[in-house]
Amino acid sequence: MTTQLRPGAPAHNHSGHRGPGAVAPHAPSRAGMFARQHRGRLFRTDALTVIAWGSVAAAVALWLADGGATVISSPASAFTAVGIVTGLAGMDLVLLMLLLAARIPVIDRTFGHDRALEFHRRLGKPSLYLLLAHGLLVATGYGMAEGLDPVSESVALWVLVPDMWLAFVSMALFITVVVTSLVAVRRRFPYEFWYAVHLLTYAAVGISLPHQFSVGGLFAEGTWQRWYWLAICITTGAALLYFRVLQPIAATVRHQLTVSRVTSVAPGVVNIEMSGYQLDRLAGHGGRFFTWRFLAPGLWWHPHPFSLSAEPLAPGPGGESKLRITVRNLGEGSGRLMRLRPGTRVAVEGPYGMFGTTARTRDKVVMIGAGVGIAPLRALLESTPFSPGNATILLRGHSETELYLGSEILELCEDRGARLFHLTGPRVRQETNWLPEDAVRAGYTLASYVPDIADSDVYICGPAAWAGNVISAARAAGVGADQIHHERFDW
Amino acid sequence: MRARGAVSAALASAGILLAGWQAGTQVAEIRSSAEATSAGTATGGTGTSGAGGSTSGSSGTSGAAGSAGAGSASATTYDGAAVATRFGSVQVQITVKAGVITEVTALQLTDEDRKSVQISNRAAPLLRSEVLAAQSAKVKSISGATVTSNAYLTSLQAAIDAANL
Repeated sequence: MTTQLRPGAPAHNHSGHRGPGAVAPHAPSRAGMFARQHRGRLFRTDALTVIAWGSVAAAVALWLADGGATVISSPASAFTAVGIVTGLAGMDLVLLMLLLAARIPVIDRTFGHDRALEFHRRLGKPSLYLLLAHGLLVATGYGMAEGLDPVSESVALWVLVPDMWLAFVSMALFITVVVTSLVAVRRRFPYEFWYAVHLLTYAAVGISLPHQFSVGGLFAEGTWQRWYWLAICITTGAALLYFRVLQPIAATVRHQLTVSRVTSVAPGVVNIEMSGYQLDRLAGHGGRFFTWRFLAPGLWWHPHPFSLSAEPLAPGPGGESKLRITVRNLGEGSGRLMRLRPGTRVAVEGPYGMFGTTARTRDKVVMIGAGVGIAPLRALLESTPFSPGNATILLRGHSETELYLGSEILELCEDRGARLFHLTGPRVRQETNWLPEDAVRAGYTLASYVPDIADSDVYICGPAAWAGNVISAARAAGVGADQIHHERFDW
Repeated sequence: MRARGAVSAALASAGILLAGWQAGTQVAEIRSSAEATSAGTATGGTGTSGAGGSTSGSSGTSGAAGSAGAGSASATTYDGAAVATRFGSVQVQITVKAGVITEVTALQLTDEDRKSVQISNRAAPLLRSEVLAAQSAKVKSISGATVTSNAYLTSLQAAIDAANL
């Protein structure tokens, strides 16, 4: 049981009882333990990509199939036609965005929660541009047909055509939602403000629907295009309602979580233990993080995303058991959690994300954590399958006290036969390095600690900039992109 | 995005678009042939009414036929101006007999897309009966068909002006 500060001969380096040689005979039988899971995930990735792009193509194709392109006979009708196409494509992207944010399990287990939200974010501006183009082009096209300028045409549409004023309000709401989500703007406001404005998206989509079905020629009664659009709108709405509202309520009622104990781990870091029922249903799933709401005055409306820092204990005789999260005081929101009272009821959503065994692609595993990012690795180390000698844990902090849960991790490493390195010390001035200064000066790299890293899954959890440096180091050491598992926890 | 996913997505999208385009050209052909047919029917209709007149004449109900003939001689038609709207042009024609509007015919109605055709088909008969009852263009527009109604009534007013009613 040694924790190493620098690389040495690998045989003496691991903290477990057996050397890598001892497990070699087992290796062939367990080879490719995760190969099938990996292939399945790659297939789902491609299938979902095809569906997403195909849906945009289908939006345009349905319009073409209605003879949309053949009615273009004048500049005015050309403007109107392009305007209709941009509107359809924009609506399709908006629905895709809603689905990406709907916490649908297949999307979550294929891309991961954070990447799904990243795609969601990247679609924001394109869909707004398409919707703006839709408004401008249709107003211009209609205006040209009638000999009006686009502004008077817009006024006429607002006043004369039923449901059109709702469409204008909807456009204004879409602009508000996207603008408040721009990084620069978002930083100026508290999370709750952004969240409240973001909820307006539902209103924006909702009030944009009437004009599509009452004014849009493509959606006229009796066409199958109308049924297609109705179907995808209803599916999206149902997915949101089920996965974002009904399922969390059901989970909260089923598990009846209450805070049982809050203990200090280090200055500013606490373990929050919760007890509840059927907690084994929260383990074993792919996702590792949950959104917690502590139902206490002033706290209940604030959702906190945290990973488990220990697998739920096996249920006792009454079906009751415990789980644990580890929280660092990073701001006003998590600061209040330091003073949670035992008995506080907890609402839970999840599990979300890919930061777990479902993401594994190889038999070997490397976990690299810094600061409170060590906590999720602690739970992963407890449960993810590996043969003794096939796992390496690298913990990074300024000092030993910042290696939170370090002693628990050491114990787990001894039990399961994993190598453990404590990388402590000040960081290097040069910002692209993730190692402590003395390790860098000694010329150590990621491969010095984990020589076979190129054939391992690498789990990385820590502050965004640091994690970025670890990812570059891993890529440079020959680790493929789908072997790198990184969960952002600073959303 | 992975290469396999990107290529399959591109191929699938291209296939879907191509299928849509293909279906669209067929729809356009069907529509243009339908228009040709309906134009033919319209001409046929005129022909039939003429034939009907001759039939009624030959059937020997001479008094009625005579008065109808006299009536149609004094009835005059006036075309309203064609009013362009974003959903297509609208133009109406009125038939005036002894200072009374006896018939309103829509020469053109909003027909840009299927939705507009639907709206026109619903609004035109309602507008016609309202106008015949009110004997003026000062009637309420049909809700849900405001654009079509307004154009219809504008064209109608022009026709009424032309008839000096």
